[in-house]
Amino acid sequence: MRLPSLFRRTPFRLTLLFLALFAAAASAILAYVYVASATEAQAQARKAVEQEHGTLSAIFRERGPDALNQALIDRILSGGNFLYLYMERDSSRITGTLGVFARDEDGGDSAEVLNASPIPNYTGGDVWSTFRFTDTDADGRVVRKDVYGLQTTLSNGQMLFVGKDLGDTEAYLSRLTQALWMAMGMVLLLGAGGGLLISRNVERAMGRLNTVVTAVQDGDLKARVPVRNSGDELDELGVGLNRMLDRLQASMASIRHAGDAIAHDLRSPLTRMRAKLEVALIDAESGKVDGVDALQVALDEADALLKTFNTVLAIARLQAAAGRVPDAEVFDAADLAADMAELYEPAAEDKGLDFSAEIETGLHVHGARPFLAQALANVIDNAIKYTPTGGAVKLRARRRSSGEIEYSVTDTGPGVPEEDRERVIQRFVRLDNSRTEAGSGLGLSLVGAVMEAHMGRIQLDEGPGVYGGFGPGLRVALILPPASAA
Amino acid sequence: MKILVVEDDAEAAQAMVRGLTEAGHVVSHAIDGAYGLLEAQKGDWDVYVVDRMMPRLDGIGMVETLRKNGDQTPVLFLSAMGEVEDRITGLKAGGDDYLVKPYAFAELIARVEALSRRRETGGVQTVLKVGDLEMNLIARTVHRGTTEIDLQPREFQLLEFLMRHAGQSVTRTMLLEKVWEYHFDPQTNVIDVHISRLRSKIDKGFDRAMLQTVRGAGYRLEA
Repeated sequence: MRLPSLFRRTPFRLTLLFLALFAAAASAILAYVYVASATEAQAQARKAVEQEHGTLSAIFRERGPDALNQALIDRILSGGNFLYLYMERDSSRITGTLGVFARDEDGGDSAEVLNASPIPNYTGGDVWSTFRFTDTDADGRVVRKDVYGLQTTLSNGQMLFVGKDLGDTEAYLSRLTQALWMAMGMVLLLGAGGGLLISRNVERAMGRLNTVVTAVQDGDLKARVPVRNSGDELDELGVGLNRMLDRLQASMASIRHAGDAIAHDLRSPLTRMRAKLEVALIDAESGKVDGVDALQVALDEADALLKTFNTVLAIARLQAAAGRVPDAEVFDAADLAADMAELYEPAAEDKGLDFSAEIETGLHVHGARPFLAQALANVIDNAIKYTPTGGAVKLRARRRSSGEIEYSVTDTGPGVPEEDRERVIQRFVRLDNSRTEAGSGLGLSLVGAVMEAHMGRIQLDEGPGVYGGFGPGLRVALILPPASAA
Repeated sequence: MKILVVEDDAEAAQAMVRGLTEAGHVVSHAIDGAYGLLEAQKGDWDVYVVDRMMPRLDGIGMVETLRKNGDQTPVLFLSAMGEVEDRITGLKAGGDDYLVKPYAFAELIARVEALSRRRETGGVQTVLKVGDLEMNLIARTVHRGTTEIDLQPREFQLLEFLMRHAGQSVTRTMLLEKVWEYHFDPQTNVIDVHISRLRSKIDKGFDRAMLQTVRGAGYRLEA
């Protein structure tokens, strides 16, 4: 048989567990209160009895048996809640509200000693005892009372018992017990009710989360958890879930975007390749060429395609990583710049460019060295490509006054008009479908993706102005946050 | 040279076997890591060419097992996974080189031959000699015949790599990877320019050019 579904729910089970724990704690407190109250009541009774007994003993000592007798009679007549018994040496009663112990068990008087005799073998000295006796109250009803009292032998051999009716305390304790039990019952009732309510609320909130999870499972990435801004942990969970979904959606979008871009970037070279192969086939069939040249051309196209493909893939991967660069480490940015200068200097001079590098020392960046190397290489590559022979290319690596690390490549090529710079940066940052030629454009997109992944930015400025008949040149700066002092 | 190709893609394997055989090598093929291990135990191989992703036992698992069993034959990993961490995983598992698919065939042959050569010259050398070219690795000096050649540090590294692989084709990618330790394709001909600078230092003024350009592949240092 299945448990009722309620019992399988976590919040309800938790509620039950806490109720059980609470009941146990309440029982312990109850027991403690009961014992403490009982002990306290007994101690108070004992104190009262001792005091009364003392007063009476003093009367006997100072004024003799008759005075004591008189005092007892006065007390009995005036009421009060003490019980007295003044006895002869042989235990026969002189005065008192109680019958004679033991000897007079079934005598006509009101004394009834239930526990055989509270002081059955009394041989003298101070003896405390508790016993129960039957009395009639003001309305003539029979009541049983517990009595706690002290019996002593007076100096003339007579005996005096003073006791206190414990009835009040008993009643108090029983009322207390009753109250405690009722309180506990209410706590259990309220707890169970509250538990049900809480579990229903939690269930509802969980239900909302579950609905979203199921929706996402079914492919609806737009589903979001309604957030009530109550700031509780379920709300936080909802916010977290939403944020995760936002991120996921952005990643998916960028992958889809990259897919579109790949399709675009590959279609035109594939078309070119196909056309060339077709022409080569016709030429070969008519015996004009042997086809080897056409195959070589096709192979070159295929290589270019692969290069494009790899770049687009790298960009997509960086965009998907968004801010979490794979294999990030702290490395010397100056060292990287020096490496790149060394790698590109011959290529620049081969083209008749004046290549120089100005590198500060002790620049530290947190990132993936291979990716940043590639980004910097692409920028230098671009500068060399667009600067006419006789121009200059300068690589700088420095710390900005803001503490950021800046790589900059300045060339003396035609530059980019100011109004176009923003658009060019956008092109850096985004895979641009309007791009017509693959190659350099894509290389710059990769730079953009690398910078984005490193929380960096790109800045374009005018170069040094007219130089060797060209200009005004372009200064491309890659600005990275410095490695945090770790 | 005896080469074991472990590759689950039949067509790719066929092309590789054919190409390597035409390049003058003895080639066998295993269709996955498990068969690869069996084949590896059978013979005395010079190089293993191992695909990373295969059914049953993948390339990483196979090479780890080989290395555990004490087989130190050089391994060239082939993989479609070209990220830095993929490379590192491959090299940690015991691979000696890592080639990302797709690759030019010339690249594959150059790397396979470079690996086998590496094994032959296992000992610590202090002097490299190719023809009348001599490199002293301790003094960091280079002579061609009696002429001392003055090289920049990077040119020295470049020449050292070429001398260690003398007679073999080395590709531009290999040079960028092994000499500069970068794994990307520069868009301009940066490597070519470095080579031509080096060539002008070691070949200029001598009657025979040692540093040859290999069409469609890269460069080769000839004795």
